[in-house]
Amino acid sequence: MQYEMVAGFETHVELATNTKIFCSCTTQFGGDPNTHCCPICIGLPGVLPKLNRAVVQYAIRAGLATNCHIANISKMDRKNYCYPDLPKAYQISQYDKPLCENGYVQLSNGRRIRLNRIHIEEDAGKLIHKRGDTYIDYNRGGVPLIEIVSEPDIRSVEEAKEYVEKLQQIMRYIGVSDCRMQEGSMRCDVNVSVRPVGSDKLGTRTEIKNMNSITFIGKAMEYEFNRQVELIESGGEVEQQTLRYNDSENTTSPMRGKEDANDYRYFRDPDLVTISVSDEEIDELRKTIPELHFEKVERYVGQFSLSEKDASNIAKYRRIAEFFEQASDGVKNPKTVANFIIGQIFRRLETEDDKESFDIKTTAAQLRELVKLIDDGKIRNNLAKSTLEQMLDTGKPASEFISESDMAGLDESALEGLCRKAVESNPKAVEDFKKGKQKAVKSLVGFVMKESRGKADAAAAEQLIISIIG
Amino acid sequence: MVTREDVINIARLSKLYIAEEELDEMTKAMGDIIKFADTINVASEQGVEEFDNINNLKNAFREDVVVPSYERDEILKNANDIDEGHFLVRKRV
Repeated sequence: MQYEMVAGFETHVELATNTKIFCSCTTQFGGDPNTHCCPICIGLPGVLPKLNRAVVQYAIRAGLATNCHIANISKMDRKNYCYPDLPKAYQISQYDKPLCENGYVQLSNGRRIRLNRIHIEEDAGKLIHKRGDTYIDYNRGGVPLIEIVSEPDIRSVEEAKEYVEKLQQIMRYIGVSDCRMQEGSMRCDVNVSVRPVGSDKLGTRTEIKNMNSITFIGKAMEYEFNRQVELIESGGEVEQQTLRYNDSENTTSPMRGKEDANDYRYFRDPDLVTISVSDEEIDELRKTIPELHFEKVERYVGQFSLSEKDASNIAKYRRIAEFFEQASDGVKNPKTVANFIIGQIFRRLETEDDKESFDIKTTAAQLRELVKLIDDGKIRNNLAKSTLEQMLDTGKPASEFISESDMAGLDESALEGLCRKAVESNPKAVEDFKKGKQKAVKSLVGFVMKESRGKADAAAAEQLIISIIG
Repeated sequence: MVTREDVINIARLSKLYIAEEELDEMTKAMGDIIKFADTINVASEQGVEEFDNINNLKNAFREDVVVPSYERDEILKNANDIDEGHFLVRKRV
């Protein structure tokens, strides 16, 4: 029998606010253990949590960017469980009145992954297990999270990867999170079940907890899919379980058994008052949502005739996209700008983080000036390329490296003179060309380019040389 | 109705130990508490506007401005056990 994968995601994203969700401690990553703490985030009795306004705004923006309906009235609830990462023995979260509901993320194949909800909650502390003892650092405790809950609409590992990447891009674009999976600021719980192709019933699902790498998500889902299919094929039944993925062995194993079935006894947090957001406030926040990655790709392809791949590579990083748009403003061919970015500038930005932070010396205006020199026929591409390297090294404008004489170009008689010189100085190449070796002319053109220090028009030189030889 | 099983389950979730001989008393006590709370259902809701919380407060927000955290020594003062600046939970044998 043929089976299909059915998967849904619960994605935790740490918000990039300055302070924690209920107190004014910093959210900065790292820091010595237990130095970003106060009585509120270590859960001492008698304290009064107070909701960070920015958390509500960030979460609403996340909702708007993923096509959610924003609730005018929402509230905070207590989710009770006893575990040392949670000093109050409850997590403040949202239960039946989340901030955002009924959104979707659209994949490149046109399918929409529906979002059931996005709610806000506090992160737990970090537990470090050493020699059987548990060390607790509450710096992360109280850092604001949004939990993005999808419907089980994902049908393959490829869709899952694209979904996670897309969420990552959206959240980075709107600036609500850096979504660094390796630092834990984005983590996924993946629900996987299988069913015979054509069936519309949902199978029993298992939940793989706390995945923090897209590669491992793919591997874990594949493993889990195969495990469940084999189980069913051999007459067994899938047990509803919470699993841990072991990346060194590429397997999943149960985390907690049935006897620990969750019973969170949610109730409204009496310390926190109702969150009320007016339609006007929502509209104001809507105005802050920038054009998103995939919208930019469409525009770059349509308006600037970039290839889909180039457009995507540039639009993927918000800062690079902004740089590209500024540098292309008013130039004849934005493709030239794109080529400089992807060809030369990317070579200096090795990692994803480098590209994300996009820390280069050259400004968009400087690149635009350089490209305009090409547009105006004042310099050739080769010279522009070497000039750009110098600009990137120093942060100085093109005019520092290109002299007036460079920009003058070559007049026709000078070009003809150089072409004749090329033919006279390279009898072997001329001979080869006459024998029918078309390529030989290239070395003659190369001679001209070198003699003119890149100023000659290569195409014109080639024609001229052919006519001289001919 | 609160059953003995409910009490056992809630005690387990709350990590409380309740002795076998306490269970009957506990079950009755919890039943009484819930019955008392249920008296609210007797009240008529007619003509009463729905309200969201008892004091009807809304939007008590804090601005997103960092205030220095506590000294770590202060934070760790209540800890039973400390090591390397962490709260420490020792392995239970």
